Amino acid sequence: MRQVLIVVVAANVAALALAAAFGFLPPWPDIHPPHTIGTPLFKIAGDDISIANTHFTSWIVMATLIGLGWLATRRLEMRPRGIQNLVELVVQGLASFVVSVGGKQAVRFVPLFGTLFLFILLANYVELVPFVGQPLRIGGEEVEPLHGPTADYHTTVALALVSFIAYQFQGIRKLGPGYFSKFINFSGFKDGPLTGVIMLVLVGPIEIFSEVFRTLTLTLRLWGNIFGGAVSLAVMSALLVVPAFALPFIGLELLVGLVQALIFSLLVLVYIVLALESHEGHEEGHSPQEHGSGGDGSNSRSEKMEVAHA
Amino acid sequence: MNLAWIGAGLAVGLGVLGAGIGVGMVGSKVAEAIGRNPDAQGPIRTNAIILAAFAEGLGILSFVIAFLLQGKTV
Repeated sequence: MRQVLIVVVAANVAALALAAAFGFLPPWPDIHPPHTIGTPLFKIAGDDISIANTHFTSWIVMATLIGLGWLATRRLEMRPRGIQNLVELVVQGLASFVVSVGGKQAVRFVPLFGTLFLFILLANYVELVPFVGQPLRIGGEEVEPLHGPTADYHTTVALALVSFIAYQFQGIRKLGPGYFSKFINFSGFKDGPLTGVIMLVLVGPIEIFSEVFRTLTLTLRLWGNIFGGAVSLAVMSALLVVPAFALPFIGLELLVGLVQALIFSLLVLVYIVLALESHEGHEEGHSPQEHGSGGDGSNSRSEKMEVAHA
Repeated sequence: MNLAWIGAGLAVGLGVLGAGIGVGMVGSKVAEAIGRNPDAQGPIRTNAIILAAFAEGLGILSFVIAFLLQGKTV
């Protein structure tokens, strides 16, 4: 590591000395501020659907992950070694993290959590590869062949909507129609009409607003951080005379990419766990008996399912 | 000159100020809590990430406002 740093710094100093001696800089490629979204590469189905460079890059990311999974599970052994060992280490780490956050019942969501985490992590790191997100001159015209998937808000809104549907579906599956009592809330009426009206008019809309806000912030947090990182890398590369001076910022962005991938998948997991929580206090308003038995039944059923899965 | 750009800059600057204070408060208390009880480091860190993410989400909203303003011409 230290040797690499010494070589990079020496190369930069040599380049600067040359520049000072001859009065010009080597022909660095032009550095453009990255686009907020990907640009279409070509169109299919008459101009309706365009394949953007973001799609292309996310296919590369997906192919990497799928290929890794295929390689690791091709010849399974009882005593894992090599790539199988590595992938098992990752999966076990993710699973134990999920259990530490959501308890035993959350084991079912390791696939969703792990897929989100690994895809976002790799997509964030693709953005840091040099020339990703920069237009290149290929055959006389400028094209931008690659664009980081999470630096385009279409990808992040898709991920956020998938997570939104996932946690709403899990909540409805666990609690049945009682899940919606969170939004239309009659439980306050047992404490008097005033409390009931306040609960109905204020708490329900706040819950609905928070659902919208969750999706919005999931989308924009990831996109804003990764796009902002790409902008800061481009600005620093252009500003610091020699592009490689921006190397410390790559280290910063490696950390940001990991943290953002963790935050996105962790928040989705927490939303699922919150959706699974039965809010008995809210539901006693209309059907206490039915809920009591129904809640217990679904609890034991999900526990059985966990045992089956484990 | 486009006044909307000044507005965009102010929106990010002032909006992120509050989010920064929030994340800083979460961070200081987390450091305190881990110092007091190092065994509970795992759950404390997980909760801290979630809470910091909530504080950060409000800052991100100002970022969005800035982007909406950026496309505006007076």
